[in-house]
Amino acid sequence: MRFLRQLLLPVLALASLALARSSTGDSVLILLDPSLKKEDFSVFFGDLEKKGYQLTFRSPKDATPEIIKDDVAQFAHVVVFAPNTKSFAADVTPQSLVSLLSKNTNLLLALSPKQTPLSSLASEFSLILPPPGTPLVSHFPKRDTPPTVIPVDVPATHDIISPNLPPVWFSGVPQALGNNPMLVPILKAPPQAFASDADSDKGADALVEAAEKSGEGLWAGSSLSLVTGFQALSNARATWLGGVELFSDDFINKEISKGVKSGNRQFASDVAAWTFQESHVLRIDSVEHHRVNETLPRETYTINDRVTYTTYISKYNPELDLWEPYSGIKDMQLEFTMLDPHIRTSLPPIAGEPGKYSVTFRVPDRHGVFKFVNDYKRKGWTYLTSSTVVPVVPPRHDEYPRFLSAAWPYYAGAFSTSAAFVLFVTLWLAGDDREPKKSKGAKAE
Amino acid sequence: MPLAYTLPSNLSPATVANTSSLLRIVALALISGAAIASRLFAVVNFESIIHEFDPWFNYRATKVLAEKGFYEFWNWFDHTAWYPLGRVVGGTIYPGLMATSGVIYNVLHALHLPVDIRNICVLLAPGFSALTAWSTYMFTKEMKDESAGLLAAVFIGIAPGYISRSVAGSYDNEAIAIFLLMYTFYCWIKALKTGSVLYGTLTALFYFYMVAAWGGYAFITNMIPLHALTLILMGRFSSRLYTAYSSWYAIGTLASMQVPFVGFQPVRTSEHMAALGVFGLLQIVAFAELVRAHVSSKQFQSILFGSVIVIGLLGVFAFAGLTYKGWIAPWTGRFYSLWDTGYAKKYIPIIASVSEHQPTAWPSFFMDLQFLIFIFPAGVVLCFRELRDEHVFVIIYAVVASYFAGVMVRLMLTLTPVVCVAAAIAFSSLLDTYIDPVEPEVPVASTEAETPARDSPANVAPGSATTSKKAKKAAAADASSSGLASGVLAALSPSGKSAKPRGIFGLDSRALVIANALGMLLFFVLHCTYVTSTAYSSPSVVLASQNPDGSQHIIDDFREAYYWLRQNTPQDAVVMSWWDYGYQIAGMADRPTLVDNNTWNNTHIATVGKAMSSPEEVAYPILRKHDVDYVLIIFGGLIGYSGDDINKFLWMVRIAQGVWPEEIQEPNYFTAKGEYRVDDQAAPAMKNSLMYKMSYYRFAELYGGNQAVDRVRGQQVPKTGPTLDYLDEAFTSENWIVRIYQVKKEDPLGRDLKTANSFDQGKKRKKSKPLSRRKAVV
Amino acid sequence: MPATKNAPTAKTAGSSQSPILSLWNAYYDNTSTRLKTIDAFLVFLMLSGIIQFLYCILVTNFPFNAFLAGFASCVGQFVLAASLRAQVNPANRKEFKEVSPERAFAEFALGSIVLHFFVYNFLG
Repeated sequence: MRFLRQLLLPVLALASLALARSSTGDSVLILLDPSLKKEDFSVFFGDLEKKGYQLTFRSPKDATPEIIKDDVAQFAHVVVFAPNTKSFAADVTPQSLVSLLSKNTNLLLALSPKQTPLSSLASEFSLILPPPGTPLVSHFPKRDTPPTVIPVDVPATHDIISPNLPPVWFSGVPQALGNNPMLVPILKAPPQAFASDADSDKGADALVEAAEKSGEGLWAGSSLSLVTGFQALSNARATWLGGVELFSDDFINKEISKGVKSGNRQFASDVAAWTFQESHVLRIDSVEHHRVNETLPRETYTINDRVTYTTYISKYNPELDLWEPYSGIKDMQLEFTMLDPHIRTSLPPIAGEPGKYSVTFRVPDRHGVFKFVNDYKRKGWTYLTSSTVVPVVPPRHDEYPRFLSAAWPYYAGAFSTSAAFVLFVTLWLAGDDREPKKSKGAKAE
Repeated sequence: MPLAYTLPSNLSPATVANTSSLLRIVALALISGAAIASRLFAVVNFESIIHEFDPWFNYRATKVLAEKGFYEFWNWFDHTAWYPLGRVVGGTIYPGLMATSGVIYNVLHALHLPVDIRNICVLLAPGFSALTAWSTYMFTKEMKDESAGLLAAVFIGIAPGYISRSVAGSYDNEAIAIFLLMYTFYCWIKALKTGSVLYGTLTALFYFYMVAAWGGYAFITNMIPLHALTLILMGRFSSRLYTAYSSWYAIGTLASMQVPFVGFQPVRTSEHMAALGVFGLLQIVAFAELVRAHVSSKQFQSILFGSVIVIGLLGVFAFAGLTYKGWIAPWTGRFYSLWDTGYAKKYIPIIASVSEHQPTAWPSFFMDLQFLIFIFPAGVVLCFRELRDEHVFVIIYAVVASYFAGVMVRLMLTLTPVVCVAAAIAFSSLLDTYIDPVEPEVPVASTEAETPARDSPANVAPGSATTSKKAKKAAAADASSSGLASGVLAALSPSGKSAKPRGIFGLDSRALVIANALGMLLFFVLHCTYVTSTAYSSPSVVLASQNPDGSQHIIDDFREAYYWLRQNTPQDAVVMSWWDYGYQIAGMADRPTLVDNNTWNNTHIATVGKAMSSPEEVAYPILRKHDVDYVLIIFGGLIGYSGDDINKFLWMVRIAQGVWPEEIQEPNYFTAKGEYRVDDQAAPAMKNSLMYKMSYYRFAELYGGNQAVDRVRGQQVPKTGPTLDYLDEAFTSENWIVRIYQVKKEDPLGRDLKTANSFDQGKKRKKSKPLSRRKAVV
Repeated sequence: MPATKNAPTAKTAGSSQSPILSLWNAYYDNTSTRLKTIDAFLVFLMLSGIIQFLYCILVTNFPFNAFLAGFASCVGQFVLAASLRAQVNPANRKEFKEVSPERAFAEFALGSIVLHFFVYNFLG
């Protein structure tokens, strides 16, 4: 089966090479604010189309095309570039956007210093926004742009972003991160930056006042995030941009220093690739378990059996639109769980067999309904979860050792008793002929 | 010799004997018929269905046995019970009942009678009740005579105390256990009387069957040694006693250890030590007797005394030492609860929470035994008059069983047979005395008072009269046997009773007493029929109520809900409910359950209790950890079904408190005044508990703005009902008796479900703040 | 059978005081061969049981079921034989009115077979 599929996949992939880029689909709905023009983002959108995405544009207030129809998501990805929209059409609510995530639709959402429905939605993702009207401000390094347009260094080595990008231009709001483990910070604010009133910088007083009142920390420093990814349990991804300008042609073409173009274009492409589940997408192809020296799984295992658990994992290759066996995971673990893990062991890749991870262990001396649990969650990567239920039963009554050497005196005792019994019966019956006289005689006495 | 009435004189003794035995057989057949028929009320009134709770498990196990054979059954590991612990069924049940049905099933199928296994299970109890009647007849016959035996058979056949556990559909261990109990006792008496190893072996075999069938076998394990010990102490040791007891104990104990559930208990636990001790004592006494037979008494004394005392002391020390070392398990909690009725409530709430473990109320003695309970002491007194070895047995049995029946409702069942036996002895003596046609020769002032014991019962020739429907024939048989000329009569009573000094004069006094007795029997039959049809025939899976016009209305919520589960949930969906419903869910819905009526793991039950009595957010991790998909509760507030979970709720709290005393405290569930309320004034812990919320979720809506009333508690429920964040209502049955909730999956955004829920409902969220890392510098 | 004759002393061995001696003499004189056969059987069973018990205490009781089976077979056979002895003993005739010696033996055989059935079932 597997072999066949491996053969088939490239063929299918070739057929659709020109079209698909994402592992989940290539229809994209873009909710674009009327105040923004499509042309302002021509590079970003053009790049997407070049990759093979089909873009559909819609104003936030338009009723069509619907994002969810008959409870089915109509697009594989939804981009909301609506920093100024206060009220959306009826079908675009924070609730419907969240429900998109559970329908495995990816979201790319842009925030703005203004208070919009999206700002309140952000808090559902454990993002904490500064008060309205306080964008990120930085006076360093010295430059000729306003203090709200900031060059931000991109981390040189980041899982999601191409290495060694030049700094990117940013303008928008920072987000403080809650302690939700599903958050994937992509771009952090520069250490010197802080959130403040953009016009005069005087709003800092208001900010301090608010901080005093509620005991908040300052909206400042590199703990703030500017672009934050979020991977829901359903593996759908949502990325929050601090400002829509990050992806605009303006910023893409703006030089960061003399002769050096900003990294915005590649950055936008990388973020979109991650968000639309092109990169860092894994899946479990299949799970097998069987007793050592057997090949087929058993319905139940007996305590103290030696069991082999195998899983096959593939990674999505966006270039070929293909799932390829992936052996790159070194820290995967397998748990054998009944209420609590009874066994937790590493599940290493098998050398020479790409995509195969396998471990052999002894089933604990405990019967019950166990689960093979593989729960691999790493920031930025698709969550791999698999749970296979197998009952572990005590040995059947004929599987216990039966005759033990330690017990031979007892066996001897039992057999000798039986033998003596037979002997006794024989004696008794043989003695029957002559005995009665004696016993009669005894009686007579 | 004067006779009160004339007897036919043209009958030969052979004819009399033949007729009487024929009539006995007919009478027994009719008694069996009556015993079976009166148990079919449940089928007639409702349908052929398995009743109550435990029978559902037995039924399910029997199905496995019938489908997969005995070996698979023996190795059966039920991974759907006690999820995720599983249950080793083969090693934790008494397989006698299932094996019996399995054998019947296979025999019938071998005969090409394709009977459904369910019908065998439903009708097994009535069938065995007929056998019980027969074995009671045999037993009582050994005590007195055939006529008493027939009376006892009638009594046991229709006594509600036994019917309550053996109606059609009540497929429980007790269904066959009472037959086995009586038959084991019969074999024991027979073995004791004859000193035959054959009967001793038979006793052991039936004891083995009993051990395989019912946990109550310990009653036999202790009754027989008690009887033997009493006989020894009374100076009645005989070789017959030795033979009977030794053969029973040696074979029976070994046989009982073959049952996996019993295992090594017969040599390891205190409950079985009495039997072992008496066995040892008997060996010593028998050896002493043997020695005495060979030496003069003076020498004998010096040897005997020394050895017996030394050995006795050694035995006591050995027992104490072994208990101390933990080799012999001390008495179990269930045992203590028999002596101290408050013990269970204090230390093992799980036992105390079962209604049939409560002490018996006085009215239930009358309800279950009617007039038998009044003449039962008379029968015991009659046993004292003669006091043969077997009478000692009845006396001990009566005393012990009376005590136990007073402690636990459930043990009423073991009392019933001895009551029937003793009552039959008393009643038969009464009839014998008053029907006996012989009048005393010497006129003495005999009273009309009921002095049935005036005559030595065994010597009274049976008389003729009509008694109850069945006894009539038996008595008639005996009537003809004595319906002879006085010569025959004299021949029948070798003790020369013709010159007896006491008796009854005239027909009027006889007629008066006998009519009275007949009236009692008649009322007994009416009472039994009434009680059986009204009180003891409800399957409890299906409820019945009366429509305003008097017709019967069937409430079938349980099956409705269980079938909903069966058809709308995945096969492996785990259902959590209080343990009462575990067997039914497994049997009818075929879904894994967390806890069931087996109650072997107190912690697991306490976990369920904790989940039920905690607030949602505390309960949710517990539910997730146990992979619970659905929660099932019983709610009677709408139609007034009082056996619902809110009424059982305090037991859940108590059991949970036993394991988590810091987290769950019973007083928190009462109001400040100490009341158990569900209305506006309910305690906060009560209102927040999962059980309360699930019970009253959307209950007030049903009343459309009117005041919602809980009809069980008779309290007014708040108009704004509880809300649920972590569970979804999945199903509510027609009369709201069963409510099923689905446990929500975790939120895809990693929020707690309460927040997610309020977000879904569009509520404004309180603005969150970033974690304060440093203070603002002003 | 010399063993038979010596064996009963085992019960009261270790002392030759006069009560014991007279007991032995009384036994030797008044007991029929048949009963002596049974007694020999009894003594054998008793010794076998004692050996197994000692082995269990001193060495191992690990296959506890095997010990119980072996030991119970000795004890069970012992009491059955003792019962038989009581039943066929002419001195006890009046106690066992219904059990003739022939019947007693048949019952003994039956009981023993049942016993051995359970023993072997329990042994393994």
